[in-house]
Amino acid sequence: MPYSFTQIEEDKTKTIRFVFFFLILVYFAVFWLIAVIALNALDYEANPYVFRFRFAVLDLPHILIILGLAFMIGYAHWGFTTAGLVTRILGVLKAEALNPKDTYHQMFRNIVEEVSVATGGRKMEPVIVPTMAMNAFAVTDFSGRAVIGLTEGVLARLTRAQIEAVVGHEAAHIVTGDSLATTITTSLFELFSGVLRGFEAIFRFGGGGRNRSSVRAQGRGGGGVIVFLLLIYFLLAFTKFLSYLMRMFISRQREYRADAIATRLTRDPLSLAEALYAISYRWRGVGLPAQELESIFIINPAYSSIDEQNGFLPDLFSTHPPVHQRMGILLNMAHSDLKTVIKNIDHQAQRPRSSAPDIGTVSLQWMVNKDGAWQGPFNMAQLTVLGGIGPETWIQRIGGGNVQLLYQDPEARDAVIKNDLGAKNSSYHCPRCAVPLRILTYEGTEVFKCPSCRGTLVGENDIKRIIIREEIGFSDRIEKIAQGIQREETSGLVNVIKRDPKTLLKCPKCRFINNRMMRMFYTEVYRIEIDRCFNCGLIWFDADELEVLQCMIESALSKSK
Amino acid sequence: MVILGVILVLIVVAALWMAGVYNGLVRLRENVKNGWSQIDVQLKRRHDLIPNLVETAKGYMAHESKTLENVIKARQQAIDASSFKDKQAAENFLSSTLRSLFAVSENYPNLKADQQMRQLHEELTTTENKIAFARQYFNDEVNRLNVAVQAFPNNVVANMFKFEKRDFFELEDASEKKVPEVKF
Repeated sequence: MPYSFTQIEEDKTKTIRFVFFFLILVYFAVFWLIAVIALNALDYEANPYVFRFRFAVLDLPHILIILGLAFMIGYAHWGFTTAGLVTRILGVLKAEALNPKDTYHQMFRNIVEEVSVATGGRKMEPVIVPTMAMNAFAVTDFSGRAVIGLTEGVLARLTRAQIEAVVGHEAAHIVTGDSLATTITTSLFELFSGVLRGFEAIFRFGGGGRNRSSVRAQGRGGGGVIVFLLLIYFLLAFTKFLSYLMRMFISRQREYRADAIATRLTRDPLSLAEALYAISYRWRGVGLPAQELESIFIINPAYSSIDEQNGFLPDLFSTHPPVHQRMGILLNMAHSDLKTVIKNIDHQAQRPRSSAPDIGTVSLQWMVNKDGAWQGPFNMAQLTVLGGIGPETWIQRIGGGNVQLLYQDPEARDAVIKNDLGAKNSSYHCPRCAVPLRILTYEGTEVFKCPSCRGTLVGENDIKRIIIREEIGFSDRIEKIAQGIQREETSGLVNVIKRDPKTLLKCPKCRFINNRMMRMFYTEVYRIEIDRCFNCGLIWFDADELEVLQCMIESALSKSK
Repeated sequence: MVILGVILVLIVVAALWMAGVYNGLVRLRENVKNGWSQIDVQLKRRHDLIPNLVETAKGYMAHESKTLENVIKARQQAIDASSFKDKQAAENFLSSTLRSLFAVSENYPNLKADQQMRQLHEELTTTENKIAFARQYFNDEVNRLNVAVQAFPNNVVANMFKFEKRDFFELEDASEKKVPEVKF
């Protein structure tokens, strides 16, 4: 195997130069045509009765001037589109930086670092697109900044090995340099499509606002303008078509190559085949913007039947090769078959869920002899904040157990003396119980849970992630509540939220400016009552509400699949 | 006069060719060096992670003290190893002890659920993968260097400037050696 990554790095594709000259050529052709048409139009205006369309109206100096102009404009266009390109594309895709506290994101960062090591240290930056869609992409620009992006959907549903394979595929695009080529080409002609849409808007406005025949009746001058505009429109459509064609030429074969290099990188073709299968046949998902950027993705986000065909025309127009062919090659390398892939993916969908993490042990409760009277029952969390008790306080466990001193009971001792519930305190306080909220890792992301009333405080971005991820399973109790709420909806028994301002909770973050949270349904479809701060976006779920919401969304999704 | 000119041209051409070969060899040697330093960084990282891992695991698996001791011993050996060969053997031994530690930890659901343990597990997994990938890269580059050093006519230049063959960083696990064939 002589083809190492340094070698690939050395003989990167020369497409980029070709693209630059193509751009100049396009500008030259456009200007030349415009000049020819304009000169002919002048002829026509001067003497319409002897007018004959002449093609060769330009002499050499004119052509040189046009060439110079095309070069200048083309160069400006090039510079304008390639400066800060990655940042611009990430903006279009609404990509976010990773959250260092999120366990899924930590894993993603690690995987990108691993693959970077495998390529001999090419720097790559991971970003995340917070949608349920399943996809991955790579973008690069001239500053050498290379970015690998995954959607939350991919992170939540694929295994570590599969994510590694997908990242390997994207890294292959980066080291071969075709990520740079595609990034530049796709964005070069974004400008054209923008201009085109502008023209379309003008035409639609012109057609709707004024009577066409009256425009025509204004005389030959008006007609000339319309013909002129139409011609420009067609020219632009033509250049867009050309650019489209060229993009397709670059695109299709490189996916095979990237698959092959990814295999050399991670030595795991089966996982890549599984990932391709899961992404393209199971749930491609929705919610990825920017159709014009389709060639930067591993699987075309806009499903098109032409991708799955072979032959001259599909080869020409499709950005991605047929998935079944890509899988066939990979499975051949892995000495495996489609059945194994389907079995593995099915198995993966039914992997065991873990139970929701909790703080302290809820089931334990004590009676406490405080201020000369037996009080209670209290759970561990309540003991930590009770006050006025110490190691020498008499306590008794509910459900059997002798009356004993607090230090003799290990759990109660941990709770009161060490203030230890197995989770760290956060700076937030529970809006209901005023005790410090504990930091908890829930579905891989950080949430704040009240040890006393078991309500949960979730950040604005984190709630999206929690809903996409499917790590935690739900008890029968939660499932029954979720079904009950859904039944109420369908039977029309929709409860109305009481919006008494006095009962509104104060936001744990914005309480110093006395900001109260708004009580509302999560959405009109999932009628879970939440309290939401409109200042900072934090959401408060009362006990069980978060799990019930997740359970409702998951069952709705599994029905739609 | 003509002959002198021809000889002069030949000498210049030969010198240029030698310079080209020399530069190519230097680049290869630097790649190998870079590959080795990448492996070294990851091995150090693994050494740093292990005390934490053992500390966390201790609380849950008191009955498995032997497994834990093995890991600590293997780590110490790996740190002390100085020669290339010793280092290779010690690191491979460390890998195998770690693998048995994780296999045993499967029996302790509390340990598996521990947040810190999960984090450490992920950290070690990624370090192990990085070691494997760095080794892969290193061996690829060593292979290129060795071919370049031995193939004719490069070997003339290589011998002249004392470019030497390097040893591969071998694997102990035969199943890992299998490389899938790549077909385009």
